Amino acid sequence: MANKPPPFWQREKYTPYILLLPAILTLVFVVLLPLLFSLYTSFTGYRLIRPESLYQWVGLRNYERIFSDGDFWSAFGRTIIFLTIALNVEFLLGLGIALLINKITWGQRTLRTIMMFPMMFSPILVGYQFKFVFNDNIGILNNALQSLGLSDGAIPWLVDKYLANFAIIFAEVWMSTSVFAILLLAGLFAMPRDPLEAAKVDGCTPWQVFRHITLPFLMPFVFIAMTIRSLDVARAYDIVDVMTGGGPAGRTELLWTLIARTGYDNARMGQANAMAYVSIILSIAFTYYFFTKLIAARKYMGGAA
Amino acid sequence: MIRTTLKQLLAATALSGIAATGAMAEDVDYGNFADYTLRVKLIGGAQYEPLYARISEWEAMTGATVDVLSRKNHFELDREIKQDIAAGTLDWCVGSNHTSFAPQYGAIYMDLNGVIGEETLAEFQELALKNSTVDGRLVQLPRHSDISNLYYIKSRFEDEDNKAAFKAEYGYDLAPPETWDQMKDMAMFFADAPSFYGTQFVGKDEAITGRFYEMLVANGGQLFDENWEPTFNSEAGVKSLQWFKDLYDAQAVPAGALNYLWDDTGLGFASGTVAMNLDWAGWAAFFNDPENSKIAGDVGLVRAPMGDGGVRAGWSGSHTFSITSTCDNVEAAASFVTFLTNHESQMIEASTGLLPTRASVWDAAKEKFAADGNDFLVEVFDTYQLSMSEDAFTPPLIAPWIEVSNEIWPRLQAAILGEMTPQEALDEAAEDARIVMEDAGYL
Amino acid sequence: MMNGALKKRLGAIGLWVLTFILMVVMCVPGLWVVLTAFRPNGEVLAKPPVWIPENPSLLNFAKIFGVGVDQVAIPVPAYFMNSLIIALTSTAVALLIGMSGGYAFARYRFKFKNGMFLGLMLSRTVPGIALSLPVFMIWSRIGLIDAKLGLIIVYVALNVPFTIWLIDGFFRQIPKEMSEAAQVDGCTRWQAFWKIEFPLAKSGIASAGIFAFLTSWNEYALASNLTRSTDSKTLPVGLMDFTAQFTIDWAGMSAMAVIIIIPALILTFLVQKHLIAGLTFGGVKG
Repeated sequence: MANKPPPFWQREKYTPYILLLPAILTLVFVVLLPLLFSLYTSFTGYRLIRPESLYQWVGLRNYERIFSDGDFWSAFGRTIIFLTIALNVEFLLGLGIALLINKITWGQRTLRTIMMFPMMFSPILVGYQFKFVFNDNIGILNNALQSLGLSDGAIPWLVDKYLANFAIIFAEVWMSTSVFAILLLAGLFAMPRDPLEAAKVDGCTPWQVFRHITLPFLMPFVFIAMTIRSLDVARAYDIVDVMTGGGPAGRTELLWTLIARTGYDNARMGQANAMAYVSIILSIAFTYYFFTKLIAARKYMGGAA
Repeated sequence: MIRTTLKQLLAATALSGIAATGAMAEDVDYGNFADYTLRVKLIGGAQYEPLYARISEWEAMTGATVDVLSRKNHFELDREIKQDIAAGTLDWCVGSNHTSFAPQYGAIYMDLNGVIGEETLAEFQELALKNSTVDGRLVQLPRHSDISNLYYIKSRFEDEDNKAAFKAEYGYDLAPPETWDQMKDMAMFFADAPSFYGTQFVGKDEAITGRFYEMLVANGGQLFDENWEPTFNSEAGVKSLQWFKDLYDAQAVPAGALNYLWDDTGLGFASGTVAMNLDWAGWAAFFNDPENSKIAGDVGLVRAPMGDGGVRAGWSGSHTFSITSTCDNVEAAASFVTFLTNHESQMIEASTGLLPTRASVWDAAKEKFAADGNDFLVEVFDTYQLSMSEDAFTPPLIAPWIEVSNEIWPRLQAAILGEMTPQEALDEAAEDARIVMEDAGYL
Repeated sequence: MMNGALKKRLGAIGLWVLTFILMVVMCVPGLWVVLTAFRPNGEVLAKPPVWIPENPSLLNFAKIFGVGVDQVAIPVPAYFMNSLIIALTSTAVALLIGMSGGYAFARYRFKFKNGMFLGLMLSRTVPGIALSLPVFMIWSRIGLIDAKLGLIIVYVALNVPFTIWLIDGFFRQIPKEMSEAAQVDGCTRWQAFWKIEFPLAKSGIASAGIFAFLTSWNEYALASNLTRSTDSKTLPVGLMDFTAQFTIDWAGMSAMAVIIIIPALILTFLVQKHLIAGLTFGGVKG
């Protein structure tokens, strides 16, 4: 081996970095740089309609303002509740659907396609769709309830404190349950048959089988689904913005709708970016939590994480 | 893409007989801009589109090409323009504008005095031009105006049983309301939720701020005092807000009203399930069109009600066109906006009920309606002409208006929903509005 | 007389029917949009409601394309082409970058490996609304506003993290020995990858692809900010052409929705089989 060493880009040591370079470059360019820029603006009094205000350094004022603002904290709390309820309901429904479809032996492909139907809907479309479903006067839901004789009043779905939040969570759940279902179904497919057969022979009830064999096996898939969903859960902004715009009286205000209104309608981009930073940290916390769970579950399964 | 479709639309309008004839060329020379491409951003939507059919005519006349960069509603357009300001991408010439929005944009639009000919400007209503002026600069050329008046279902008011029952309950005759108090009585009287409502209001965004604002003025209040201190948390303010709350509590308005915008109220009234509807003239033809409306032929119209101050509500503004200061061919842009606001253009817009900004078009349009046997639109124009000349006032034409509005309307909602009292809600809104005004350098 | 096999069969059919009905119920809000697309004006948002269209018509589609009605056509063909080009290109590029990155994570040990992986994943958590303005400002400086390329780059970035994740897991499934054996037989590492590992990872790549495609195809928040005209506007942004100051043309919007959904549905149906397999191995096992 008297060959002269190959140029550095061909050396084994550097190969992974070179392979990763395109991904890193893209993300630096599209995510990191813009984030640094918006981090900077969160310390300025930047107003969209006054470009020169980009250089007006205000220190921590934007953060002080939002942290002492009750509206911000209630939006913050509501966002956490929204995420928690939506993700859990999606998980339970998705699990139910996956278990059901897993039992089907014939015509499963058709059912799977139908199951994925809501995934074809753009979030903005889901927003309009449910805006009309939940409309109190001409909405299909109230009309149905009235003609079935279940209700004789116009239920203010998008106005009432609880119903309005129910409505936006419903829309989000409708759009995203399929993602859970498909990921959990994949998990069920990967399940080894032997333990199941053995358990049946031993006389375990279906519930015991599910509780002690299926569910533990499925847990990593659950965390994957949770991680994936918490990655892009901010898509719900499109839905909520169209359905209620965060109103009425801030009853459905999430961090994202508050950011959009502050940044664009009020043109206070500096303050909006300060809020955006808080929301990013929140998203990262959710994702990180599920991700560590996932790693732990993988280890538990004996995978080489 | 857009060019061909506009041509198709032109053909379509020509068929329906609205298109201007050869005599329309007036005496204005629209110039020759061969090979020039004019980039524009226009407000979109059913009521606005018929005018755009004329763009291809202007193209044919001047040799220029029009590139319509966006066609969106005003809130979307506003967001886009703000981004353009931020990024310095004002590489277009003509934009749709509105008197309420214009003050925020600062110097991005040029002063049209001297750009548009004096004789042309003289054709416009003085008030419309005055409202289009910000800091002494005419930043926009008004296209049509808006103000709201009260539409009602005639048969409901003419019904003898209703009349007798109303008189027995309230002690005065049932007739289209003259005051806000009467309107409240009648709305409660007619209401039979969920199948029928007395009236409705748009419940969010600048829409409800505007309604509150005009009622505040009608009740003798003001948003700000002469030093720009917010004063809308006055007695008149509380009374105005109480009006919304009372109607909401009595279920005289649809329960979802707080989530309504203009489309919901317009379509709601056309569906025949609402007795009275305060709305702009752009819906007039729609309300009376049997294809779209269940109450066609049964629509009455009176001026907006009066408040305690003996003043009628008259929240008003104009849809307009502006030319950017960065425009690379001001002459072409000026020719374009002049063309889209000339006599024939405004006649086209008037045919759906939109209110002209040229004095002469009012009479010409009424003559045309009369000749077509469309008495309803004649009545509409008579009513709106009166309210435009006697009742109209704009919101304060200041840069932070939209921002102040965004402080006010969530509090209005909170009070209507009973989360706080009207006084508390208005006090809180006034406090936050004060901060906005302070930040903007008015205080 | 009913034998066991028949009973079992009937049970299976019963289960299928039950599941089918459940799935359809789940789809009702979406199906309602599809039905609305075929309703004549009077039936849209009618009170009392008309459940099944009584006079199905294609009028709403005619209106979109400006056929025989005095309404400005919505430039759907242009939007459709934009969407298709943007979604396909960004998916393809994201897959390439994802394969290269996923391979690196699956096959190599290097410094900061775990930190880098987590960093890549977390980059996806930034909400679109928080990214939209800074991206807009940077894009406008370099002329990427209202350009398909501008949107493609953004979508590639959105899709790379998840693609790397799935593909990483998938490559780990493939025993290292297979490509090593090929290398012993004289293949270069590249050839070994291309001939041995890539074909085995196909379903993982396909499932990453379908997720990436659906994300790009349906994305709205960023596209609405970064596009301006028919040069780059995508179908979801085009939906907003049906809203205006005073009206929302819900029937027209529904018709357009159908146009958006159909290609996605067809593609999903075709990639179905790979999808499940791809997720099965890609996701966890690694």
